[in-house]
Amino acid sequence: MTDHMISISVERSDPERGREPAIETYEVPAEAGATVLGALLHIYETCESSPAFRCGCRNQDCGLCAVDVNGRPRLACITPLRKGMVIRPLRRLPVARDLIIDRRWIMPFLERFDLFVRDGGLREWPPRLSAPAEHARLAACTECLSCLAACPSFEAGRDEIGGPYHFVKLAQLYWDPRDGADRRAQAALLGIARCPACRKCACPLGIPVYRAAVAPLAGVR
Amino acid sequence: MEAREYDIVCIGAGGAGVTAAITAAAAGARVLLLSKDPIGYGNTRIAVGVVASCGILPADSPDVFYEDLVVGGEHLNNPKLARVMAEEAALAPAIAESQGALFARDAGGGISRGVAMRAGGHRYHRSVKAHGKGIGLSQALRAAAARSAVDVLEETVTVRLLSDGGRIAGLVAWDLAAGAPVVVRAPAVILATGGLGWMYYPHTDCMRSATGDGYALGYEAGAELVDMEQVQFLPFSCTHPASMVGIFLGEPSFVGPQGRLLDAHERELLVGMETMTRAQVSRVMALELRKGNGTKHGGLLLDLRQNLETPRGRAAWQTMKDVGLLDIAKRAYGPKAYAWQEPWDVVPTVHFHMGGLRIDEHGATSLAGLYAAGEAAGGVHGACRLGSVALAELFVFGRRAGLAAAEFARGADRPPLPRDEAAEAAANVARLPGARGEHRPVTLVRQLQRLMWDKVGAVRDETELSAAVAELRSLADQARSLRLGPERRQSLDLLDALELRLMLLTADIVTRSALCRQETRGAHVRADYPDRDDARWLANIVARRQNGGLSLAVEPLAGVQ
Repeated sequence: MTDHMISISVERSDPERGREPAIETYEVPAEAGATVLGALLHIYETCESSPAFRCGCRNQDCGLCAVDVNGRPRLACITPLRKGMVIRPLRRLPVARDLIIDRRWIMPFLERFDLFVRDGGLREWPPRLSAPAEHARLAACTECLSCLAACPSFEAGRDEIGGPYHFVKLAQLYWDPRDGADRRAQAALLGIARCPACRKCACPLGIPVYRAAVAPLAGVR
Repeated sequence: MEAREYDIVCIGAGGAGVTAAITAAAAGARVLLLSKDPIGYGNTRIAVGVVASCGILPADSPDVFYEDLVVGGEHLNNPKLARVMAEEAALAPAIAESQGALFARDAGGGISRGVAMRAGGHRYHRSVKAHGKGIGLSQALRAAAARSAVDVLEETVTVRLLSDGGRIAGLVAWDLAAGAPVVVRAPAVILATGGLGWMYYPHTDCMRSATGDGYALGYEAGAELVDMEQVQFLPFSCTHPASMVGIFLGEPSFVGPQGRLLDAHERELLVGMETMTRAQVSRVMALELRKGNGTKHGGLLLDLRQNLETPRGRAAWQTMKDVGLLDIAKRAYGPKAYAWQEPWDVVPTVHFHMGGLRIDEHGATSLAGLYAAGEAAGGVHGACRLGSVALAELFVFGRRAGLAAAEFARGADRPPLPRDEAAEAAANVARLPGARGEHRPVTLVRQLQRLMWDKVGAVRDETELSAAVAELRSLADQARSLRLGPERRQSLDLLDALELRLMLLTADIVTRSALCRQETRGAHVRADYPDRDDARWLANIVARRQNGGLSLAVEPLAGVQ
């Protein structure tokens, strides 16, 4: 059986070697159920000089494969493949190479803003706790960073200009009954006042980023 | 080359690695947490997030838990490790919550039967559900690493462990993001590298990073491995479309009271699967598929329709919906599959590995200074793992390995770094980018994966296993002549090349251990030895390196006289 082939475009770049972003076109099989990630894997398996990309679980659980598809952030693993698609790295984030964005800024960010519950040590378990529904919703954030790529006021590399992902991390603790830190003050430091409430921070998995994270931290009702 | 100095390097940053690293750091050790994925990823992140505990119901006890483990594991478990698992299971969710995870509570804020799950193979409701599933656990792990004094190095793949006179001395790794070698001198190393599911891609529901690195690294350094033939298949995964092959669709405990397994001609193969183990169902499926009774997509039919007629069956549908399995069925097979109105085309998928580094109760391997925890270690689960125990194991044995490694590092003098060996290992990596040999690494990796699925899969026999050994040897020969792109940073070619070398070692050990075990037990099914043989095979297969080659020994079950 020969699969029907279609063309897609991929933006390539290599800042390390001084290569500016340029579009390359590839022929990929478009069988029923084909996904963007499947197409990238096909290109990698068949072309010597393939674009670099991230792949984790293939099933929308790990958040590693998010890319920009036709101008919108998408999880490559669950995005149906279509003719003429243009695939780029997520916008507004530093590109390491081709479709791979840098992810090493996250650990230092967590450390700088104390984004953890204080260590209570091993106590009698289980303590009686009740957490609002928002806690469970936000705990499911895969950190794919699509919300940052879509946010018009976020600027990478500047602590005072955070974006929806930063506020999700703060709100996970804001809704945690064990957290005593002033997360709203931190949100202010991260520039939450700049949020225009445009709600472009749509989550590919449907987490209500603005309603459960941004608005409560900004004091918007 | 400048070597970094630490007391402990922990390789792998899923549940076991982070728990071990932060425990060791809290005990005063200087720890480097080194991970191929970002911190807190690995298979922990994509797990369903259900963690075994013990004692939520008054009738439950470590003794009952222990019995469940060894009955499920078909008595191949290391009794000492299974005993620790049972005794300390109640610690697992407590450790996870101390890191910042949160488990679902009842209306009164407590944990009771109503919010606990009875996972496959467990006698009681004793497993608890994390907010945000595996993602929630994983975010807490990363936060706990940020809170701890450990240093982290993400996106870095270990290529060789260094030893000196039978003791760990350090390691050589490659920083994928920076495109540069990393050499670390340390008297203790913890392997928390997870399992080997990706060795069976696409027939796996594991992360791309689960390439079994730790097994090969430990073996090469001289540590012993145990029961490496015990590769766990979950019975139900997608057969199509191509991009979804191997993605998890459920396990026996999810199929409801009326779930049935049918062959392609709609003949009934199994009912009452709810209480069967993963191994029991996968075995029936693999044998039927071998007889040629599969669908055109290479699967069998999981018929869940009759569940919709009973309240308990409808509850099973709701459970599948809650854990996200119905969404997967809908993406693969459409809305009727979502509604359980038509059977699902299903095939077993590699999910877990029960074998691994042979450890004692404190995670120590047979090589001084080398520890292992989580899926990288073997023996807790015997020949079949019960649902939700893998996540519990991460916290229990991660903590133990961290404490023991810290204690060891405190007392140890520091072996000198074998500088020539370190330089050679680093040079071997540095010469790969731009290499102009014959074979692309990914081509050989895909051949290895295909071969493992075809010949070392859910049913095995001597003919196919022997052929697999020969084919692996041929692949290893071809792997001497690799062709890679010139990039040093974020190079998929380079990552595949480095993993290929380790996968070839691990695959050979798995295959030859499978050839050695001439019986059917748990996840290891031999068509030519279809029965369990307790008289001969209530024994571990121990793999070690001897005179530069693999040596296998059959040893009485650890801890049993």
